[in-house]
Amino acid sequence: MGVLDYFKSIPTMTADEVRLFLSEKLPDAYNLVDVRQPREYERDHIPGANLIPMAELKGRLKEIDPAKPTIVY
Amino acid sequence: MRSRSAATLLLGSGLKDVYSMEGGLRAWNGMVAHGQPEAGMAYFSPAADGEDIVGLAWSLEEGSRLFYQAVSEHFNDDKETQQMFSWLVSAEKNHEKHLLETYESLTGTQPDFEKLRAKFSDSLNGTVMEGGIPVKEAIAWIKGKGVSESLELAIAMEVNAYDLYIKMSRVTEDKQAKQIFEKLSAEEQVHLEKLASLLDDRI
Repeated sequence: MGVLDYFKSIPTMTADEVRLFLSEKLPDAYNLVDVRQPREYERDHIPGANLIPMAELKGRLKEIDPAKPTIVY
Repeated sequence: MRSRSAATLLLGSGLKDVYSMEGGLRAWNGMVAHGQPEAGMAYFSPAADGEDIVGLAWSLEEGSRLFYQAVSEHFNDDKETQQMFSWLVSAEKNHEKHLLETYESLTGTQPDFEKLRAKFSDSLNGTVMEGGIPVKEAIAWIKGKGVSESLELAIAMEVNAYDLYIKMSRVTEDKQAKQIFEKLSAEEQVHLEKLASLLDDRI
């Protein structure tokens, strides 16, 4: 990832939008990925989130279904 | 920043529909679950069938009901609190009833709960409530604690159950069992909203 990628516009959702989205969808209809460290996940996480720490993301892409919308935090 | 990097990586890997949550978990003012990714999932083997899962979920709901019952008796000099936890007892009873109905509509038969409970008593190591907490320990904990602390424990326990049911609905292979978990997680969500508004009234 180049440094310029930081300035590209990344689609975002506010926390409220995420909450609404999750409440309207079945758990099977989206990927919700927590990219923080395991200790942070253990302390608190959004119910139903899958833990894939940022450093492992590239190697664990298979765990994310590309056919579904994905929310990361 | 981490979630932006993650979203960039995913978009670069060919995923189309990716969103980064603004502000990360610090901006999240909704419910949070606690514990490791696999917490509680060992109870439910992903290969378990619908009958086993309903039986186990029912055992956990029963544990929660026993806990709420004990809490309601503990606060017997506080009418409002007692009513609050009695409401929770009836909510859990309702939940158990829903489990039964779900089971019946999915399989067309009635489960033998006594048999199922006996079957799971070993793996649960005594009576356990939702979130995997032993009922005895929880009851010992609330002695000397206030109402809001007891409500907070109830919410923490329900959120963990909610988290578990969502994850289980994803990993479960059995189609009927998947449906049961989806229903359970939807019910937990309603349950939690009510609990949270009760807590709001008290703090």
